Amino acid sequence: MAVTRLADQVPRAQSAAPILVVDDIVKSFETPDGTVTAVDHISFDVAPGEFLAVIGPSGCGKSTLFNIIGGLIEGYRGRVAVAGETVRGPHASIGMVFQEESTFPWRTVVENVAFPLEIAGMAKAQRIERARHFIDLVGLTGFERRYPAELSGGMRQRVAIARTLASEPKILLMDEPFGALDEQTRLLLGDKVLAIQHQLKQTCLLITHNITEAVQLADRVLVMTYRPGKVKRMVAIELPRPRSSEIVSSDAFGRSVAQIWGDLREEASRGMRDDERHIAEHLS
Amino acid sequence: MAETGRLIAPAAPPIAPVTLVRVAIIVFVLLFWEAIARSGLLFRDVVPPLTVIGQALIALLAETDYYRHLGVTAGEIAIALGVGGVTGLAVGVLLGGSRLLARAFEPYLYYLGPTPKIIFFPIMIMWFGVGPGSKIAMGVISCFFPLALSAAAGMRQIDQVLIKVGRSFRAGTWAMVTKIYLPAMRAPVVNGVRLGLGVAIIGTLLAETKLSNRGVGFLIINAYSTFNMPRMYALLIVVFVLSIGANALIGRLGGVDQIKRA
Repeated sequence: MAVTRLADQVPRAQSAAPILVVDDIVKSFETPDGTVTAVDHISFDVAPGEFLAVIGPSGCGKSTLFNIIGGLIEGYRGRVAVAGETVRGPHASIGMVFQEESTFPWRTVVENVAFPLEIAGMAKAQRIERARHFIDLVGLTGFERRYPAELSGGMRQRVAIARTLASEPKILLMDEPFGALDEQTRLLLGDKVLAIQHQLKQTCLLITHNITEAVQLADRVLVMTYRPGKVKRMVAIELPRPRSSEIVSSDAFGRSVAQIWGDLREEASRGMRDDERHIAEHLS
Repeated sequence: MAETGRLIAPAAPPIAPVTLVRVAIIVFVLLFWEAIARSGLLFRDVVPPLTVIGQALIALLAETDYYRHLGVTAGEIAIALGVGGVTGLAVGVLLGGSRLLARAFEPYLYYLGPTPKIIFFPIMIMWFGVGPGSKIAMGVISCFFPLALSAAAGMRQIDQVLIKVGRSFRAGTWAMVTKIYLPAMRAPVVNGVRLGLGVAIIGTLLAETKLSNRGVGFLIINAYSTFNMPRMYALLIVVFVLSIGANALIGRLGGVDQIKRA
C-alpha cells in the first residue's frame, strides 16, 4: 500500500484539465496455472501537451495497459477517458504505434501514411497531400513511392509514426516503438519524436522498458512494479525543453536515470527470479 | 584502368546457364522421341516421327472447327475458375476467420480435397446435363478445394499486428477484408489460383473425354478412338502450351514477383 501512496504525491506537469484519465484499471487473465493479474489498480492522468512514459520490467503488464488504453482489449475493471469521454473500443482521439513491424508491405510509403485517411473516407487527392505533410514531418520526403521492404527498420518505424500522426490523434500512444532498433538509431529517432512533439504540441504516452529512452523523452515517468503491475512511483524529469539526445551526457540526466533504475532494479530482479523459477520447474 | 575494367566486366551473359540446361532437356527429349520413332521398336503409329506430328499440328491450327472447340473448353475453364475461385475464396476467408467453423469444416475439406473428382461426374451429368454445364461443374469442384484451403491458411498467416493497426484506425469489416485481409493474403491466394487452374483444366478436360460432343477433350478422345495419333499428339502439345501460358499469366497478374521482393 505504501507503493500506491507514493503515487498519490505525484508531481503534476501542468495544472490544465487532463486529456487522458486512466482510472483504477484492473485486468486479469485466466491461464492454465490460475488467474494472473496483469494490471493492478493503475491510475494516472496525462495533461494536454505532456509526454508521459510508462516504464516497467518485462512481464509487468505494460503491453496489456497499452492495449486497454488503445481500446483493443475489453473485459477490464476501471475506466479510460479521453477529453472526458469514456473509451469503449478503438477511439479516434488515440493513435497507436506498435512495437512490431506494422507497415503494410503491399503499400508504398505514401499509401501507408494515407491509410487512416482512406478509412475515414477522405478524397484521394486530399489524403495524398495530407500524407505528404506527415511524411515530411518524419523526414522521409523523397521516399513516398518506396515500398517498406526497400527501407531500413528505423525508416519503417517512422512511416508507422507518420501514419498514426496522419489520423491526428489527441494522444499519440506508443508501445516500445524503437524496441527493434539499435541504440544509436533509437537516440536519433528520439530526437525526431521530440521535435515532432514540440512542433505539434502532441500529447504522448510512451510504453517502454528502456530507461534512457524514457528520461530522454518524457516529462514524467511512471514506474510499474513486476507482476501484478502496480504504480510504484511517478518521477518528474526536470530537464529543460526543447531537448536533444545530447542531454544523455548531462549530470541531471544521469541522476534521473539512477533514480528510476533504483526503483526498477528491485522489480526487474523479481521478474528475473520468477522467470528462473518457472524454467527450473519446467525442467524438473 | 577504366578501359580494362570495361573489357573484363562481362556483358551480362545473353543466356543464363539454367536456360541452356532447360533447352538441352527439350532437345534431348525430342531427339530421343525421334530415335524411337525411327528405330521401329514401337509401332510407327503409336510413336510417330516429329515431322508427322508437326504436320498434324499445322493442319490442326488451320482448322476453324478446332477454334470452336477450343473456345468451348476455354469458356468452361474460365467460368469454373471464376465460380470455384469466388466461392473457394469466400469459404477460405470464413474458415480462416473463425476457429469454430475451421474446426468443424476443415477435416471434410482435407479429405474431399485429394479425392479424384471424376467420381462425381455421373452425378454432375444428372444435375447439369451432358453439355458444358457438367464440365463446368467438374471444373468448379476441382478448383474449389485448393482455393478454399490456401485462402484459409493464408488468412491465418496474416501478421496479427496488421489487423490491430486496422482495428486501431477503426476500419469496418468491409475495409478490413478488402484493405488488409485480401492484400495480406495475396501470395497464398495467387498460389491457390494457380493450383486451382491446374485442377480445373484437369477436371474439365477429363470430363470432356468421358462424355461430350464439344471441346478439346472431346477432340483428343475422338482422335484417339479413330487412331489418329499425330493429331492426338498435336492436341496434347496445344493443351500443354496453353496451360503453361495461363499459369504464367496468373502469376504475373497476381504480382507474385513483387511479394517476393517485399
